[in-house]
Amino acid sequence: MIGVFDNEFDLVKAFEKVKARGVKIDEVYTPYPIHEILEGMGKKTRISHAAFFYGLFGALLVLGGMYYAAVVSWPLNFGGKPFNTFPSFIVVTIVATILIVTLATLFTFSARAKVFPGKQARIVHPAATNDKFVMVLLTDGSAEEAAALERILQENGASEIIKQNEPHG
Amino acid sequence: MIEEKFVIPKKLKLATYVLIAIGLVSFGWGFVTDPQRSWANYLLNNYLFVSLAVGAAFFISIQYIAQAGWSAAFKRIPEAMAAYLPFAAVFFLLLLFGVHSLYEWSHAEELAHDHLIQHKSPYLNVPFWGIRILLFFGLWILLTKWMRKISLKEDREGGMRYFYQSEHLSKVFIFIVAVSFSAFSVDMLMSLQVHWFSTIFAAKMFISAFLHGAAVITLIVIILHKYGYLQVLNRSHLHDFTRYMFMLSIVWGYFTFSQFMLIWYGNIPEETSYYVHRWHGPFQILFYVSIILNWFIPFLFLMPRSNSRSKLAMVPVIILLIIGQYVELYYEIWPATLHEAKFGLLEIGSWLGFAGLFSLIVITYLAKANLVPKNHPYLEESIHHHF
Repeated sequence: MIGVFDNEFDLVKAFEKVKARGVKIDEVYTPYPIHEILEGMGKKTRISHAAFFYGLFGALLVLGGMYYAAVVSWPLNFGGKPFNTFPSFIVVTIVATILIVTLATLFTFSARAKVFPGKQARIVHPAATNDKFVMVLLTDGSAEEAAALERILQENGASEIIKQNEPHG
Repeated sequence: MIEEKFVIPKKLKLATYVLIAIGLVSFGWGFVTDPQRSWANYLLNNYLFVSLAVGAAFFISIQYIAQAGWSAAFKRIPEAMAAYLPFAAVFFLLLLFGVHSLYEWSHAEELAHDHLIQHKSPYLNVPFWGIRILLFFGLWILLTKWMRKISLKEDREGGMRYFYQSEHLSKVFIFIVAVSFSAFSVDMLMSLQVHWFSTIFAAKMFISAFLHGAAVITLIVIILHKYGYLQVLNRSHLHDFTRYMFMLSIVWGYFTFSQFMLIWYGNIPEETSYYVHRWHGPFQILFYVSIILNWFIPFLFLMPRSNSRSKLAMVPVIILLIIGQYVELYYEIWPATLHEAKFGLLEIGSWLGFAGLFSLIVITYLAKANLVPKNHPYLEESIHHHF
C-alpha cells in the first residue's frame, strides 16, 4: 500500500501511527531528509567507519608509494635535500587520500545500495521524485488490515492512497 | 523567553581574586629579578587572552552573518569574553614600557647600522606602534560595545530591527578585524624577529585566535551547564561547538604546515632563520607538541560522532587546546626574546594571574545581563535545535 502526502507533518503523524501498529514500512521517499523518518526507519550506516579506514589505508599507501619511489627504487638528489623529503610528501598525500576516500566510499555505497549506471529506476509514484512525500507499506494481505491502514492514512491527511497486492517494482 | 540570571558564586569570585593576587606577586617578583623574562610573560599572556576575546567577538559576528539559529541561546558567553578588550587595551599600552626589552627594532643602536631595520622603520617605530595599538583596540572596543548595546536593547524591546543592525555591524567587524588583527599579530609577534617574515603568519594567528576562542566559549558553556545554568544545552549544540573546534583545528594545522613546508622546501636563509633558531633542544620538542595539541588530538579524537556530542570527551580536548595555545605562543616568543626555554613559577604565576582577571571580567559581564538573550529572533530555533 502506498500513501502520498502533501507535507512533512502529515507524513510524520501517519508514519508514527503506522509504526505503532507494527506494520512493516518498506520505504519512505521525501524531497529532503526528515529527522523523524531517518530515526524511525532504524537504519544505521557504517559508511563513515568505512571511509575512515579507506582514508587510513589511502594515506599509508600514498606515503609508502612515494617513499618507495623516492628513497628505495630511484633515489635522486634534488638540491641537496634528503631522499626522504617527508614534508613535501604530505601535500600529495592529502590530495590523493581525499581522492581515494571519495572513490572508495562511492563504490562501497553503490555496491551496498545496488546502484549502478544504466540501472532501471524504480519509481513508486510519479510524485515521489517531485514535491510529494511517499510512504510504502507492506501489508500482510488480509482485508481488515488493509482497511485499517487505509483509514489511518486517510485520517492523517494522505492526498492519495494506492493499493497494490504485489510488491511494486 | 527564558529568565535566567547568572549569580556569581562567592567562592568563584574569591578564587579569581586569589589568582589575580598570584599574578601580581609573580610579576612583582619577576620584574625585580628578571625584567626581560617578565616582559615576555606579559606579552604572551596579554596576546593569549586578547586572542580569546577577539576570537569570541568574531564568533558572534559569524553567527549573525550566517544567520545561524543554533547558537542564539549562547550568545552572551562570547559577548562577555569580548568585554575583556578594554582591559587588554590598557595592558597593551603598558607594554610600551617594555618595548625595548622585547623588540630588537626599537633599539637605536641596532637601527643605526642595520639596513633592514632602517628599511622597515617607517612602519616599525615606537610611536607608530603605540598609535596602532590605540587604533586597533579603539575599533574593536567601539564595535563590540556597540553590538553588546544593541543586544541588550533587543532584550528589552524585541523585534527584528536589532537583529539586522547586529548583522550589519558584524559584516563591518569581520572586515576590520581581518585587517587589524593581522597587522596586530605582525606587530606583536612577528616583529620580535624583525629580520624574518612570513606572509601566512597573520592568517595562522588569526585562525589560532578563532580556534582557541571557540574552545573557551565551549568550555564556559559546559561549565555553566554543569552548575545548573543554560539548561537548553543539548547534544546537538555540543556537536555544533565541536564542529567549530574540529574544523578550525584542521585549518590551523593546514596553515602551520604550509608555513613550515614552504620555508623548509624553499630553503632561503632569511626565511629558514625562524626554524633554524627553533630546531634544537626544547623548542624542537615544542614544535611537535604544538602540532599534536592543536591539530592531531582534536582532529582524531573529535572525529567520531559519539565523541563530538559528549561533554566527557570534549572537556579534555578543550583543556589540551588551551595548553596548546600557550605552547604555540611560547614557541613564538621565547626563542626570539630570551633565546632559551625558561619555564618556572613565573610563567605559571603570570598565566594564573591573567586567567583570574579574564575569568573575573567574564563572570562580571555574564551577571550583568540575562544569560539567555530574551528576544533574539532565532531563540526558539536554538532551543529546539536537534539533528
